[in-house]
Amino acid sequence: MVWQPMANPYLVVEHLTKVYERGQVLALRDLSFAVEKGEFLVVIGLSGSGKSTLLRCINRLIEPTSGKIWLDGVDVTRLSQARMRRVRRRIGMIFQQFNLVDRSTAIGNVLTGRLGYLPGWRALLGWFPKEDREKALANLERVGLRDKAYVRVDQLSGGQRQRVGIARALMQDPEVLLADEPVSALDPATSHSIMQYLEQMNRHDGATVIASLHFLSLARRYGTRIIALKDGQLVFDGPPNAIDNAKFKEIYGEDAEEVEVR
Amino acid sequence: MGYPEGYLSERPAWTTGAGIQDALARRAIAARRYLGVFLLDAGALAILWILVSYVYAWYVLGTTAYTLVPWWAFAVGVVEAAAVWGSFGLSLGQRLLGRALGPTQGQEASSGARVRYFLLWHVLVLPGVGFLFDPPLHERVTGLGLRPRGTEGVAPAPWYRTSAGLFVAALLVVTCAAAVGVTVSWSALVRLFRQAGETVDFWRALVSPDTSILLDAGRDMIVTVFMAVLSTLFAVVVAVPLSFFAARNLMRGPLGRSVYTVLRGAMSIIRSIEPIIWAIIFLVWVTALRSAFAGILALWVHSIADLVKLYAERLEAIDQGPIEAITSSGAGRLSVLRYAIIPQIVNPYISFTLYRWDINIRMATVVGLVGGGGIGQRLINYIWGVQYRQAGTVMILIVILVWAIDYLSARLRAKLA
Amino acid sequence: MSGESAAVVGSASGDRLAVLARRALSFFLDWMVWGYVAYCVMYLLNHYWYTVHVDWWGTLTLPSWGWPLVVLATLELAVWCRSLGRSLGQRAIGVAFQDAAGGRITVGRRLGRILLWHISVPLFAVGFWRGWDPWHDRVVGVGLRPISPDPERPGRRALATQWGMVALFLGALTLWVGWLIIGINFQVLARRAAQTRRIWGEMLRPDFRYFTAPDPVFSLRALSYSILDLAVVTVFMALMATILGAVIAFPLSFLGARNVMGFSPPGWAAYGIVRGFFNVFRSIETIIWGSIFAVWVGYGTTLAGILALTVHTVAALGKLYSEQVEGVSPGPLEAVWAAGGSRVQVVRHAVIPQVLPSFWAFTLYRWDINVRMSTVIALVGGGGIGDMLFYYKNQGDWPKVGAVVIVIVAIVWAMDYISGRLRERIA
Repeated sequence: MVWQPMANPYLVVEHLTKVYERGQVLALRDLSFAVEKGEFLVVIGLSGSGKSTLLRCINRLIEPTSGKIWLDGVDVTRLSQARMRRVRRRIGMIFQQFNLVDRSTAIGNVLTGRLGYLPGWRALLGWFPKEDREKALANLERVGLRDKAYVRVDQLSGGQRQRVGIARALMQDPEVLLADEPVSALDPATSHSIMQYLEQMNRHDGATVIASLHFLSLARRYGTRIIALKDGQLVFDGPPNAIDNAKFKEIYGEDAEEVEVR
Repeated sequence: MGYPEGYLSERPAWTTGAGIQDALARRAIAARRYLGVFLLDAGALAILWILVSYVYAWYVLGTTAYTLVPWWAFAVGVVEAAAVWGSFGLSLGQRLLGRALGPTQGQEASSGARVRYFLLWHVLVLPGVGFLFDPPLHERVTGLGLRPRGTEGVAPAPWYRTSAGLFVAALLVVTCAAAVGVTVSWSALVRLFRQAGETVDFWRALVSPDTSILLDAGRDMIVTVFMAVLSTLFAVVVAVPLSFFAARNLMRGPLGRSVYTVLRGAMSIIRSIEPIIWAIIFLVWVTALRSAFAGILALWVHSIADLVKLYAERLEAIDQGPIEAITSSGAGRLSVLRYAIIPQIVNPYISFTLYRWDINIRMATVVGLVGGGGIGQRLINYIWGVQYRQAGTVMILIVILVWAIDYLSARLRAKLA
Repeated sequence: MSGESAAVVGSASGDRLAVLARRALSFFLDWMVWGYVAYCVMYLLNHYWYTVHVDWWGTLTLPSWGWPLVVLATLELAVWCRSLGRSLGQRAIGVAFQDAAGGRITVGRRLGRILLWHISVPLFAVGFWRGWDPWHDRVVGVGLRPISPDPERPGRRALATQWGMVALFLGALTLWVGWLIIGINFQVLARRAAQTRRIWGEMLRPDFRYFTAPDPVFSLRALSYSILDLAVVTVFMALMATILGAVIAFPLSFLGARNVMGFSPPGWAAYGIVRGFFNVFRSIETIIWGSIFAVWVGYGTTLAGILALTVHTVAALGKLYSEQVEGVSPGPLEAVWAAGGSRVQVVRHAVIPQVLPSFWAFTLYRWDINVRMSTVIALVGGGGIGDMLFYYKNQGDWPKVGAVVIVIVAIVWAMDYISGRLRERIA
């Protein structure tokens, strides 16, 4: 599939390739696409198709082997570490395994979302400004965890932990939100509540959301656009309703059956 | 220090008369010499090999690589080459060293003997090396035994029906026989049983405590506890920062990796020298026969090495998730350390420290034996002063102390977990 | 115990501890006496109050901050007593605890001490005071808020609580007392550094002349040994002790496991005896056992070392083994019981298959420890390479000491590596 130039692209991925040194695995092969501001882009594909690698290349948690990523007119693959950190604080990220510090309280975890804005010595001493603390409480309020603010995270359930993760991303006032399989460790009912928070961030805060998902039904319900990866290559790019049965079989293999998540 | 009179007055057998003993001793010396020359040759060959492979890799591949062959092939090749070399009566190592090893008394081995040694080597010693591999070398070579066991409905052969089992059993028997032969002397065995009746008084003295020394001994016990506490505290202060440099996952890049290697190596060397030996060194340093300060320094050095290893292994096992999350929010390296790594390691570190404190209590009693102060010093003085009642009392006190600290530390660690 | 032999047997640190204890007692006495004085003052004030305002029924009560104030004030007075060298407490009792030999300390050091006091202790006191709810809250029982997670109020940091301050204070006190008792003196290290550097230099240029050939000077019990010989002997000592210890500990460990022994009275008795044996024998270090066996089978014999290592190995391995046996899953045991098996059959067919891998791992781990211990057990007459080490050290022959230490490190490293590899293969 060939990338068509857009009128006003916000994030552009050009010929992105990632090769893992060990075992010479080609995780991403010459991937190109563009995202407009305010889109809810869903990345689907089987496990190991390169979804996580793609998301991590965008904020350079993983260094891409070749290719370019333009974010708001800046090539992030060329930036120095210090300037990359500056860019990263505008990009929120949510993880499949939540990636919270278990021994810390919920508010302690949420405040770490603010670290990119804090001078180093201040972060070291743990002196967060009063506004940040208030903002953290407000964000916890927003995800419905105000009363759990001072509870240690390892006492929370899976859905609550992911909500803490969302609150942490909210602290960054993100322009882009990367969600790496945010619901695959959760049960269906909780999944929908988490996805609704993402949708809210997309609609109300105007964040561009890029989420990788396992289930096509969730992708159809929440995404404004879907791209599909197979073995690191782009096999589909289009609106959610354009995926028919044939396309589905192409992405997920011949034996796959579509599962509805309610 | 504590050597009885006449300990060194007797001349060794091989320097006194002739006869069978003398011949045996000379044979033993010759065998020892061959082993030493062999080891020297193997070492020299190994160094040469490494150098050559370095140079080769540098010129041909343009990179620095340690070996171009797997390590086991390297080891076998070096040892084999040294054996062949030695059996022809040549020695690379001695040539490189520029002098002959050891005194020249004892006859040179004949070429027939050399061939026998060579055969012996290939029959007895070399096959044993294969068992260090996974799967064992003979299985690799013959292609046998690589099947998963028990999947084909056939009962696996018992160990005495397999070549590997028999080989290991024979090796064990030979080793045990050699161990008994080397370590146990007939006279000591005779003494063990003949003295048994006469040691009754000795045992009785050990279990009949002398309460008059309780106050003094108690004071020394407090000193021992303080030694353990202080050495652990000082060790923590040094070991915590060092542990970050000794963790493989935090030290990346060529500089970091070399710091890691050097630090881990040094700690490993320090750790393999017992605290007693450290205490001797520090006693010489502070120029005293007895000094609790030297004891503390000995415990300190050993604890640092041990704690750095424990800490660093814990650091290498931390969850990478929070690091990723905090990096993705644009935080710097120090912030990642402070918010993603430190919260994960605080409790394990405390737990390791308590564990080490527990060990240090035991070690402090041992360090006292060489003059490191505390209760151990009192104990050894009683034993060497043939005051067995008092020694028994001190031993009972030590048992109580070690018990109590063991229990305390275990409870605290259970609470932390 | 007479004073004269105490000087021989005991340590200088013990004596310093005694001096410190006397000093602390005197200080405490001073404090108590000043406390009594304070009590008298309060009593008189009270009396005065009552006679003047006789129409008003009541006694003078201290305000909420009064008790800590009185405590601090009397402490302060006691400190001044000590630093001026006038002990009210000793005078009141009429006994002098302080040894006269201690001498008088200079005014400068007194001032230094009092400065240290006023910098450190009141800080702790303030921290203690401010750390948690104030004392009066606790005394009258109001305002005791739960520490449990409260959404409206964040918990304090661990150090800022009262307990944290107490822990910090105790830690500082331990450090200070320990420093005084042990006589920590880094100046000695610096002063002796040059001479020690010479020794280090000699040790780092090791003398391997007698690596394979026996040293004619070093000869023990009419046998000549080279470094290599003794290295082999050391490894074999550890091997013998490990094998013997494991063989003895293996059957004993089942007697020391509660789930195997059941809950009948003889079972309890066997369990208690075996576990008690493990615990007592484990807490006496190998090297102390070595000194006992050296008396028994002869000083410097390898057998003494082996026996010492074996005894400690039996106790340590026995404990580890029996804990492992207690941790087996009860399902297979039940199955064998249900099939009508005897106790021995339960052990043979249900317990041993479950515990065997970890038994091997523990044995190899113990082998490691035994190798380490066997290198130094010669100190008390246990034989092995340590014999050479301590002999050369006493001769001041540092190059040879260096050679022996290098060989010891090599042995320990090699054995560590081998046992690590084997453990990996078992796991």
